[in-house]
Amino acid sequence: MNILQTKGIYHDFSGLEVLFDVNLEVKEGERHAIIGPNGAGKTTLFNIITGTYCPSKGEVFYKGEDVTTAKPHKLTRLGMGRSFQITSTFWRLTPFQNIRLGILSKRGVRFNMFRKVDNMKSITEETDEVLRRVNLDGERDIPASVLSYGKHRALEVSMALATDPDLVMLDEPTAGMSRDETHNAVELIRRLTEGKTMVIIEHDMDVVFSLADRITVLHHGEILASGPPLEIKENQEVKDAYLGEMEV
Amino acid sequence: MMNKTTKWILWIVILATVVSFPKIFGIYYTNVCVLFAIFALYSVTLNLLLGFTGLLSFGHALFFGSGAYATAIALTRIDGLPLLPAVLIGGLTAAFFALITSPLLVRVSGTAFAMLTLAFGQLMYVFCLKFRDITGGEDGVGGFPIPPLNIPGVVSIDMTNCTNFYYFAMVVLGVSIWILWFFTKTPLGSVMVGIRDNAQRVDYLGFRVPHTKAIIFLISGGFAGIAGAIYALLQDIVSTDGVLTIFTSFMPIIMAFIGGIGSFFGPIYGSAILTIMDEIITTYTERVELVTGIVFILVVMYAPMGFAGLLGFIKQKWLSRPSAKTTVEGAS
Repeated sequence: MNILQTKGIYHDFSGLEVLFDVNLEVKEGERHAIIGPNGAGKTTLFNIITGTYCPSKGEVFYKGEDVTTAKPHKLTRLGMGRSFQITSTFWRLTPFQNIRLGILSKRGVRFNMFRKVDNMKSITEETDEVLRRVNLDGERDIPASVLSYGKHRALEVSMALATDPDLVMLDEPTAGMSRDETHNAVELIRRLTEGKTMVIIEHDMDVVFSLADRITVLHHGEILASGPPLEIKENQEVKDAYLGEMEV
Repeated sequence: MMNKTTKWILWIVILATVVSFPKIFGIYYTNVCVLFAIFALYSVTLNLLLGFTGLLSFGHALFFGSGAYATAIALTRIDGLPLLPAVLIGGLTAAFFALITSPLLVRVSGTAFAMLTLAFGQLMYVFCLKFRDITGGEDGVGGFPIPPLNIPGVVSIDMTNCTNFYYFAMVVLGVSIWILWFFTKTPLGSVMVGIRDNAQRVDYLGFRVPHTKAIIFLISGGFAGIAGAIYALLQDIVSTDGVLTIFTSFMPIIMAFIGGIGSFFGPIYGSAILTIMDEIITTYTERVELVTGIVFILVVMYAPMGFAGLLGFIKQKWLSRPSAKTTVEGAS
């Protein structure tokens, strides 16, 4: 069953067309990578799916529901979580407070004004558990702004997962990381997204081929190919347009 | 972190000072202290927007002024209106204005928010000047009866007595500040700080940013209205020049900055510093604003975290001094 489907998505920015008839299908439990050269429209497609933009034309379905015009908070409540290419945390708050906001949302504790959040034991325990799982327990109480780059990215990804989504959308989670950091991040993502559906945008082909079981190639705003990793590797069109340059 | 004993001692000292203040300092300074507490609450409500939600309001006088006017008008027009409902009317009226302006205000931030609040603030100023029948125009509303604090069958306390009013005001303002402090510690308080740092991410975590902001406005506006209501009772006159001018909107901003917008208690320090400065400066010159302005500029340039930031810095230095380190190491 498709958990996510886009039908004939078109999008333009003030006349500059960036997506043409994009039909993406993501099955439940799938680990789907979207690859393509810079400017192919990957992040725009991501932003349309997650509610940042409304497409110029076309529809987005999530769990069978038309969510084309749904706002991000609604999609999150429906079970979608996303991370950002450019780290987007609460930089003045600690990793603990960052994750706790996700846990509060997941538990539906949104407008509570009658209890101190520090006294909510189960929320604190769950937040600490998440911090342990992502190896951020050592940095629990320092501002996110002073975390090392790798740790900050780990926080970014774990915030997408804090609301316990069914579909995790990761936008270049290893962007700017060293080889070691990337290796750790891949392991972390693999561990955290076990049993979940994942859509990932990634430039690093090692990451893509080690994480994904289905790959969609975007090129100049169009889907060039979609299939299992081996098939994509062998696809001549993809090689010509993209993979050839990457020396896979 | 302060240990529990130090905290208790501090609170006992503060309470003892508040209780004995009228006896030690006399009527004049007792009224000055009420004024300080009014502006402390007022600037704390502004700082909920500025320091906690990241929204700079140039029109907070809208709430302070509408609270003051509502209480004054209610006391003038309704015979036998008791004291607490009169204060409550001030708070609710201000909250009402926060509610009707929020559909526009929650959708903007940054400069647009500042300009829009400025416009609403000035609109209220002009509204109160023009609707003479209700607001008394330039003359304002004055000489209304100050009802006693009645607890039916128990006691009736005369509120025209300065000392009695001082205690009443301190309790109302103190409780209000405590409620706001508690609010910052709740889950909604956490979301508020999240909006300040990264509203987009708050949205992506599943919170509705506009709704959250609207609640913050209601609370901030409502309590600013209570501060205004107490101000009306203290002065027994409310006029546009007293409670709705642009300076009434700027004052809590200056107080919050001087005290420190990064801390909940910063605006309270700021209110204390400005009140004391005011008292000292007026003995030398009438140009109080000139000196206040210079201090404001210096704080923004050289101590952007204000007095609270300075206290934090000194505390950090004190804790990291060599002898403190030796003690800690010795202890471990």
